[in-house]
Amino acid sequence: MTSIAQVQGRRSGIDLSWPTFALLSLVLSVLVLLPLFWLAFYSFRSDTGGGATLDNFIALVADPTLLRAYGLAVGMALAVGILSCLIATPMAWLVARTDLPGRRIIRMLVTASFVTPPFLGAIAYEILAAPNSGLVNILYRSAFGLDSSRYLVNIYTFGGLVFAIACFTFPYVFTLVANALDKVPSDLEDASSILGGKSMTTLRKVTIPLVLPAMLAGTLIAILQALTMFGSPAILALPAGFHVITTKIWSLFQFPPRLGLAAAAALPLLIITVILLRTQKAILGRKGYTVLGGKSGTPRVTHLGRWKWVAVGFVFCILSLTILLPYLAILKTAFTGTVGDPINFNTLTLSHWKFVLFEFSATQLALRNTFLLGFLTATAVTAMALIVSYLVTRKSVPGAGYLGILATAPVAIPGIVLGVGLFLSYANPTFQLYGTIWILLIAFMTIELPAGYQQMSSAFAGVHPELEEAGRIMGASRLRTLWDITAPLLRTSVVAAWCFVFVGTIRELSATILLTTANTKLVSVIIYDLNESGDLGAICVLGIILLVASFAVVFVANRVPVLGGSQMNARG
Amino acid sequence: MAFLELDDLTKRYGSLTVVKGVNLQVDKGKLVCLLGPSGCGKTTTLRLIAGFVPANGGEIRVGGKTVSSAHETVPPEARNMSMIFQSYALWPHMTVYENVAYGLKLRRMPQSQVADLVRTILMATQLLPLADRYPGELSGGQQQRVSLARALVIKPEILLLDEPLSNLDANLREEMRFEIRRLHDAFRYTTVYVTHDQAEAMTTADIIVVMNDGRIEQAGSPEDIYERPATEFVARFIGGTNILSGTRSDKDSVLCQAGLVLRCGNGTADASGKAAVSIRHHDIEISTKPNGANTNTTTGTVTRQIYLGSHRDYLVSIAGGETVRTVAPVNVAIPVGQEVWLHFPPEKCRALAQ
Amino acid sequence: MWKKALSAALLASGLVASSVAARAEAPAPYQITPELEAAAKAEGKVVFYTATDVAVAEKLAEHFKTKYPGIDVQVERAGSERVFQRIGQEYSTGIYNADVIETSDAVHFEYFKRQGWLTPMVPQEVADKWPADERDPDGNFAAYRAHLSVIAYRSDLMKDEEAPKTWADLIDPRYKDKMVKAHPGYSGTVMTSTFVLSQLLGWDYFEKLGKQNIMQVQSSTEPPKKLAQGERALEIDGNEYNVFRLIDEGKPIKIVYPDEGTPLAVGNAAVLKQAPHPNAAKLFYAYLFSLDAQQLNSDFGGLRSFHPDVKEKEGRTPLSKIKILHSDPAKLEPEIQTIKANYEKYFGT
Repeated sequence: MTSIAQVQGRRSGIDLSWPTFALLSLVLSVLVLLPLFWLAFYSFRSDTGGGATLDNFIALVADPTLLRAYGLAVGMALAVGILSCLIATPMAWLVARTDLPGRRIIRMLVTASFVTPPFLGAIAYEILAAPNSGLVNILYRSAFGLDSSRYLVNIYTFGGLVFAIACFTFPYVFTLVANALDKVPSDLEDASSILGGKSMTTLRKVTIPLVLPAMLAGTLIAILQALTMFGSPAILALPAGFHVITTKIWSLFQFPPRLGLAAAAALPLLIITVILLRTQKAILGRKGYTVLGGKSGTPRVTHLGRWKWVAVGFVFCILSLTILLPYLAILKTAFTGTVGDPINFNTLTLSHWKFVLFEFSATQLALRNTFLLGFLTATAVTAMALIVSYLVTRKSVPGAGYLGILATAPVAIPGIVLGVGLFLSYANPTFQLYGTIWILLIAFMTIELPAGYQQMSSAFAGVHPELEEAGRIMGASRLRTLWDITAPLLRTSVVAAWCFVFVGTIRELSATILLTTANTKLVSVIIYDLNESGDLGAICVLGIILLVASFAVVFVANRVPVLGGSQMNARG
Repeated sequence: MAFLELDDLTKRYGSLTVVKGVNLQVDKGKLVCLLGPSGCGKTTTLRLIAGFVPANGGEIRVGGKTVSSAHETVPPEARNMSMIFQSYALWPHMTVYENVAYGLKLRRMPQSQVADLVRTILMATQLLPLADRYPGELSGGQQQRVSLARALVIKPEILLLDEPLSNLDANLREEMRFEIRRLHDAFRYTTVYVTHDQAEAMTTADIIVVMNDGRIEQAGSPEDIYERPATEFVARFIGGTNILSGTRSDKDSVLCQAGLVLRCGNGTADASGKAAVSIRHHDIEISTKPNGANTNTTTGTVTRQIYLGSHRDYLVSIAGGETVRTVAPVNVAIPVGQEVWLHFPPEKCRALAQ
Repeated sequence: MWKKALSAALLASGLVASSVAARAEAPAPYQITPELEAAAKAEGKVVFYTATDVAVAEKLAEHFKTKYPGIDVQVERAGSERVFQRIGQEYSTGIYNADVIETSDAVHFEYFKRQGWLTPMVPQEVADKWPADERDPDGNFAAYRAHLSVIAYRSDLMKDEEAPKTWADLIDPRYKDKMVKAHPGYSGTVMTSTFVLSQLLGWDYFEKLGKQNIMQVQSSTEPPKKLAQGERALEIDGNEYNVFRLIDEGKPIKIVYPDEGTPLAVGNAAVLKQAPHPNAAKLFYAYLFSLDAQQLNSDFGGLRSFHPDVKEKEGRTPLSKIKILHSDPAKLEPEIQTIKANYEKYFGT
C-alpha cells in the first residue's frame, strides 16, 4: 500500500490552534484586563498629588453628592426593572399564548425597537413630554384651554426618566418571557387542566411559575441596562437637577478632572453589575425550572373572546408610547422649523436636512466614522467570537474555558467604566491611541464581545461536534473543516451576530463620550453635542439617517446570497 | 505482524483514568468489535485510534508506524482512516453526492475519477437514486448508508464505527448488521467497531474484545467469548447465564451457599479462594424429583413461570437465597410454589475468577 | 492642572511640555501676504476648536472658504469646558489635531500660556485696533469675541411688567418652574457669571435660587433654545448672541440687562504651538480678527466685538449703555472647584 507514504505526505499543515489560542488569550487579556488594571490603579492614586491614597474611596462614602448619585441610580434602575416587567410580561403572554390579532407584527415591532438608540429615544420623549414645549402637553393645554403653566406630563423628572428608560429596556424582558412562554410545553398545562384547574388557575399556578425565571432574568437585565446607561440620564436627569452615577462619573472628567475619584466611583458599579449577572445566571441555571426542548407540541392558545379588544387596546397603547409616538415625534421635528410648530404646509421645511447634510461640517466625518467602526467592530467581534467559541465549545485546547470567561467578562463592565479604564490605559505615550479611531474600535470590541460570543457559542452548541470530526477523519485539516463544514452551518448565526454587533456599535454612547476627539466624531456623539446646544431638528435628522442606515445594513446583510444561504432555508 | 497495534494504551482525564493500559493486535482485514457497557472506555479507545484525543501513555501503531504516543499524535486527517459516527454526522448543507465526494475532493482527485468512485459506492449501497437529496430528506436507514458510503469511498486503511446502529429501530438494526458484515466481506477493510450490544457484536465481528473499566477483560472469536468467558464480568455481560459464587474447595469443585458443591468441567479459577461458576439457562435441568447425585444438585422453589411458546422460562429460588433462571421444554409445566430439583451438569459448569 | 492630573498616566515623563519662559514682549504684528496665503493653501486645511455656537462657527468657516478657496475649515464645536478638556486630553497624550482654539473661558488661556502651548502672534488688525486690555501683552492670544450672559424672557408667555429687572428678583416665588439655566461645569460663560454673581450677591443667593425648580441644561447656548422652543419662559443665563439670533428669526424674546450688572464673557482665540497646519492657522487667525469676520460675528452671530469699526445691528443695546460685570481670570481659577461643589450642593448637578 502507498497509503503510509500518503499519510506522511499529507501531514504538511501544522495545527494552528495553539498559536491562535495564545494570540487570542493575549488580545482578550489586553482588551479586558488592562482597563480594569488601570481603573484599580487610579482608584488608589491621589488626584492632587499623585501617590497612593485611600482618599478616593473615603470620598466615595463621605461625599454626599456621590452617594446621592448612587442612591438615585439604584432607585431608578429598580423602578425601571419593575416597570419593564409589568409592561412586558402581559404583552409577552398576549403575543405568545393568545389569539391576539397581529401577534407577528407586534413581535417584529418590539424587536425592531432594539435598534433605536436609547439616547435618541430620550430626545424623542423630550420633544413629546417636556412640560411646556412637549407636544403632548401642548395638545393637552389647547384641548382643555388651560394656561401655559399647566402640563400633563413632565419628562424631566425621576419618573419621566424611569419611563423613558423602561421604554427602551422592556423588549429585553418581553423577548425572554415570550420565548419562555413559547417553550412551556402544553402538556404541563394540560396536566393541570385535567386535574381540574381552570384557565386562570392554570395560568397562575403552572404557567407563571414556569416563566418566572425568564421574568426575573429579563428584569435583572433591564435593571443592569438602566444602571449603566449614560445617554438617557444625561439628557433627562441633568435638566431635572440630579445626577445618576454614570453622569456623575462623567462630570468628574470636567475641568479640573478627578480621574482617581472617577475610577473609584466606577468600581462599585462594576461590583453591582457582577452581582446582578451572577444572580441572573443562578436564576436561569436552576434545574427543574428551565423549560427546554419543544417536543411537547405547540403551546396552548387562550381565546380572548370579548377581552380581545381590551388586549388590543393595551398593546396598542404600549406600542404607541414606546415606538410609534417617539418615531412620529422624531419625524415631525426633522421636517418642521421648531418643535412646537403645528404641522401644515407652511411649517414643513427641509432646513434641518440642509443644515445636517450640507452645512454642518461634522456630519460626513461622523457618518463615515460610525459606519466604518460599526463595520470593523462587527467583523472583528464576529471573527473573534467565532474562534473563541470554537475553541471553547470544542475544548480543542486545554484552558480554552479561560478564553470563554474573558470573552464574557466585559458584560460586567458598564460602558462608562470601560470608557474610564480605556482612557487611562491608552491615553498615554506608550499607546498614543487616544484621538484615533482605534481606541474606539478597542472599546467597541470589548463592549460587544460578550454579545457576539454568546450568540456564536450557542450557535456552535447547535452544531454536533461529530460533524466536524467527520470532516477531520475524512482528511480535512482543522481549519479546512472549519471553513468547509462549520462555517456554512453557522452562516445564519454569523450574519445575525454580525448585525447585532453592528447595531450595538453604532448606537453606543457611554464609553464613546469619553473617548472621541475631533477627528473621531461619531453620530451618537454629535447627536449628544447637538442636544447640549438644543438643536433638536438636526438631531432628529441625524437620528433618522442613523436608523435608516442601520435597518438597511441589517436588511442587506440578511439578503446577500453569499451570506444568507437560500438553500438552507429552502430545506427548512 | 498485526496491522493495528495498541500497546499499553492509556488515557486520563484529570485524575480519572478511562483507558488503562490496553493491549490489542488486529490483523489486516479483520473486523474487531469493542464490546462493553457504557463508560467502559471503548469509545475513548476508538477516538484514540482515530486521533481525536491524544494518548497519555503507550502507543498506537498502524502498519508498524507509531501514530499516537504520549509525545506525539498524528492528527486525524493524516491517518487515512474513516469513521462512522453514532449521529452519522452527515453534513446537512451538502447533498448525498457532495457528502460522499468530500473525502475524495480533499485528496485532489480529478473530477471524473471522483464521479466514478462515488457512483460505484452509491451503487453498492443502493443510494444512487438519492444522490441529489439532502440528508434531511432521507430516512434513518438511508442516512446510515450514506454515512457508510462516505466512509468507504476513500478506501481507508482502517474503518472505525462508533455505535453505528444505536439510532435505528430494531428491524432496521438487524438488517444493517448484516449489511455491515456484507460490506466488510466485500471490501475487507481493517475495521474497529464499537458497540454495547452483544448480538450486534456476534453478528459482525471476527474478534470480540470485551472491555470493562478501561481494561480488556477478554478478546477472542465470538465463539470463544460465548462459550468460554474468561471472567465473571464477560459471562454476565454476554448474558444468558447464571452466576453462582462460592469458594474453591478442591481442584475442580466450587463450594457454593447452603452446601451446594459444583464440580466444573472447565474454567479458569485459581487453586483456592473466591470463585464463581457460570452455567447457561438452558443447560440446567429442572425436575420435580431428586436425581440422586450428591454434587451439582440442589432443591428450590419455583417463583415464576412464563410460557414463551417454544419453551418455558423459570425462576427458581434455591437454598441459600440465590435465584436461578432456567428454561425447560413446553411440556415441563411446574406451578409456582412447587419444590423442584435442579441439576447442573459438570461439563456445562465453568469456574471463573472473580 | 491637566498636567498634574495626567502626568502619572504618562509613565514616561518626556512628553510633558516644558514651560516656556514668558516673553518680554509680543512679536511684531503681521499681515496677510500672498506668500502666507499660498503656504496656507499648500496645507489645505485648518482645524478650529471653538465654543462659539455651531451655526455661527460654521457660517464663519463658510465665509473663510469663499474668501480663501482651497483651504478647508474643520469646525469642532463643543462647550468651553469640553473644548478645554479635549485639548488637555489630546496634548497630554501627544495628539496635535487643533490649529486654532477658542473658548469663552478666559482662565483657559492663562493656563495654555503657562503651559507654553500657544504661539505668540499678533495680526496687524489686533495691534492697530484692539484695546490693550483685550489682548495678551505677550501676544499669545486676543479677545476674538465677547458676549454677555443675559436674562431673557418670552414676551408672549410673560408680560413685560412681570419680567424680572434685577438678579435679586429671580428668587421671587412667581418665577418658580419657569426658569432655565446652563451649567458652570460645562460652560465657561456660566462659570464666569456664577463667579461674578457669587461675589456680588453671595452664595446664599444661589441657595435660594436653587429652590426655584430650575431646568438645568449644559451649554450656555442652550437656554435661549429652550426659550425658542417655549419649554421655559425665562432664561437666567445664556449667551446674548443666541438670543439676538433668535430675535432676528422673529421669536418673541426680550433681553433684560439687570440693574446690578451683566456678566461679560470674553472669548479668546489663539494659535497652538503644535498646530499641524501652521500657515493656515496663521491665516485663519488673522482672518478671525478681520473686520469682515468680526462684522459677520456681530450681524449673523450677535457677538460683541472689540473691533471699533464693527457696526452693531439696529435695535441692539450698545455695550456702552450696559453695566458690565468683569471678572478676573486669575482670581477665578483657584475658585473653580469651590464653585462647582457649591453649585452641585444648591442645584443638584
